[in-house]
Amino acid sequence: MPLGTLDRTPPPFFKQGPSAVSKLMVCSALALFLMVADARFRIAEPVRSLVATILYPVEWVAMRPVAAARFVAGYFESLHAAQASEQTAERKLVEQSLRASQVEQLQMENRRLRQLLDLRERLTTRAQAAEVLYDAADPYTRKVIIDRGLAQAIAPGSPVIDESGVVGQVTRVYPLVSEVTLITDRDQAIPVLNTRTSARSVAYGDPAGHGGWLELRFMAGNADVQPGDLLTTSGVDGVYPPGLPVAKVVKVERRGDGGFARIQCEPQARVDAAQHVMVLTPVGAELPARPAPDDSPPATAAKKAWGRK
Amino acid sequence: MIMRPGQPLLLPANPVFIWGTLLLALLADMVPLGRTPWMPDLLALVLVFWSVHQPLRVGIGAAFLFGLAMDVHETGLLGQHALAYTALSYFAITIHRRLLWFSVPSQALQVLPLFVAAHAIQMAVRMIAGGAFPGMVVVLAPVIECLLWPVVSVLLLAPQRRAPDPDENRPL
Repeated sequence: MPLGTLDRTPPPFFKQGPSAVSKLMVCSALALFLMVADARFRIAEPVRSLVATILYPVEWVAMRPVAAARFVAGYFESLHAAQASEQTAERKLVEQSLRASQVEQLQMENRRLRQLLDLRERLTTRAQAAEVLYDAADPYTRKVIIDRGLAQAIAPGSPVIDESGVVGQVTRVYPLVSEVTLITDRDQAIPVLNTRTSARSVAYGDPAGHGGWLELRFMAGNADVQPGDLLTTSGVDGVYPPGLPVAKVVKVERRGDGGFARIQCEPQARVDAAQHVMVLTPVGAELPARPAPDDSPPATAAKKAWGRK
Repeated sequence: MIMRPGQPLLLPANPVFIWGTLLLALLADMVPLGRTPWMPDLLALVLVFWSVHQPLRVGIGAAFLFGLAMDVHETGLLGQHALAYTALSYFAITIHRRLLWFSVPSQALQVLPLFVAAHAIQMAVRMIAGGAFPGMVVVLAPVIECLLWPVVSVLLLAPQRRAPDPDENRPL
C-alpha cells in the first residue's frame, strides 16, 4: 500500500491553535457585536455592503435555475391564457382611453384653476423601472430584491409602486441591487388618506406576519371607516407622492379592546407577486430647501430693548 | 487511532473537495425559492458534517464567515446566522470523537439537537429584535436536516471510499 493513503495521520499534538471554547467565545462575541451594531446603531452597513458585493456573483449563479424555470414556464404558457390576457388588456385600454380623454380636459381646467388660485404647480416625481429579482429568504420580514442599485442612483427611502398601487419602500441600497421592504412588513408604516371621508391615518404592516394584510391602528371605535373604502397615500410625509392607491378596507371590527377599532385592509398592488415595479424619487428630495433660520428681527429687537434697560 | 470495529479505512480528504462542497451548499441555500421557513439549511448540514469528520480543517472561524454570507444574502439581522453556525460548529467539534463510534442512523439522531439549537438561536434572536413569527412549519427544518444526514454521509464520504490502488477490476 502506498504511503499517504491513511486518513489517520497523527495530529499535531502540541500545536492545534486556540482551543474550540476560545474560538467560540470570540466568534459569538463578534456576532453579538454585529447584531447590536446592525439593529441599534446602523453602523454595520459597510460590512454588509462589502459582503454583498463579494457575494453578488454567487447569487447571480444561484438565480440562474429559477430564471431558467421561469423562462420555460413562460414559454409554454398556453395560448388560451395569452388570449385571455390580451382581451383584458384591450378592455382596460378602452376603459382608460375614456378616462384619458377626460384627463386632458381636467388637466387643462386644473391648470387654469391653479393659476387662478396662484397655487404652486404640482410636483412631478421622476421614476425608473425595475424588475423584482427574488423574495428575500428571511422568513421574519417581508422584503424583495430589485435589480437597480447605487449604480442607477437609487436613493434609500424611495417609494416603489406597481401598476395598481404602492408596493413598498427602498430600505437598503447596494452597488447593483437594492432591498425593498413591502408595505405588509411588520415594521413598515405608510400615511394614508381615506378617499371617501378625507380622513388621514397611518396604515401598518401585518403584525402576525403571514396574512399579507395592512392594519389601520389607533382609529376610534366609532371612526367613519367602512369596508370598501379606498386608502391612498396622503402626501404629508414628504416621501410618497399623494394619490397613489395603497389598500382597500376589508373588515372593520368595532368592539376592539381599549376602545380602538380593528381595521383590516387589503393591499391594492400585487405585493407578493410583483414582477415589474417603478422606483420613484422621494418627494422630499424635490421640495425646495427650507429657508435658513436667520435671526428674526422681533427677537433681536426684544434683546436690544432688554439690553438697554 | 482507535476505531469502531468494522469501520473501513478511508483515504485522506481532499481540501478542494471539502471547500467545493461547502461552496456548493452555500449556492444551494441561495437559490431564490421564496419565503419558505421549512426549507432545510444545507449549508448548516455540510458544515456540521465537515466539523465532525475534519475538525482540523473546517472549524468555527469558517462557520462564522459562511454565516455572515448567509446573513447578507437573506437581508436579515447581520450576525444571526453567524452566531447560529458558530454554535453549531462548536457543538459538532465537541461531539466529533463520540459521534463516529455510532452507526449512521444513530448519528443522525444525535445531530438533531444541534440543528434544533441552531434554529432556536436564530428564532430567539429575531424575536428579541422584533421580527414577525414565521409560523409553526419552522419546526420541520431541523427534522429534514436530520433526515438528510445519512444521504450527506454517503455522498460526501464517497471520494474517500475509493480503492487506494485502482486497477482493472476496481476502477474507482
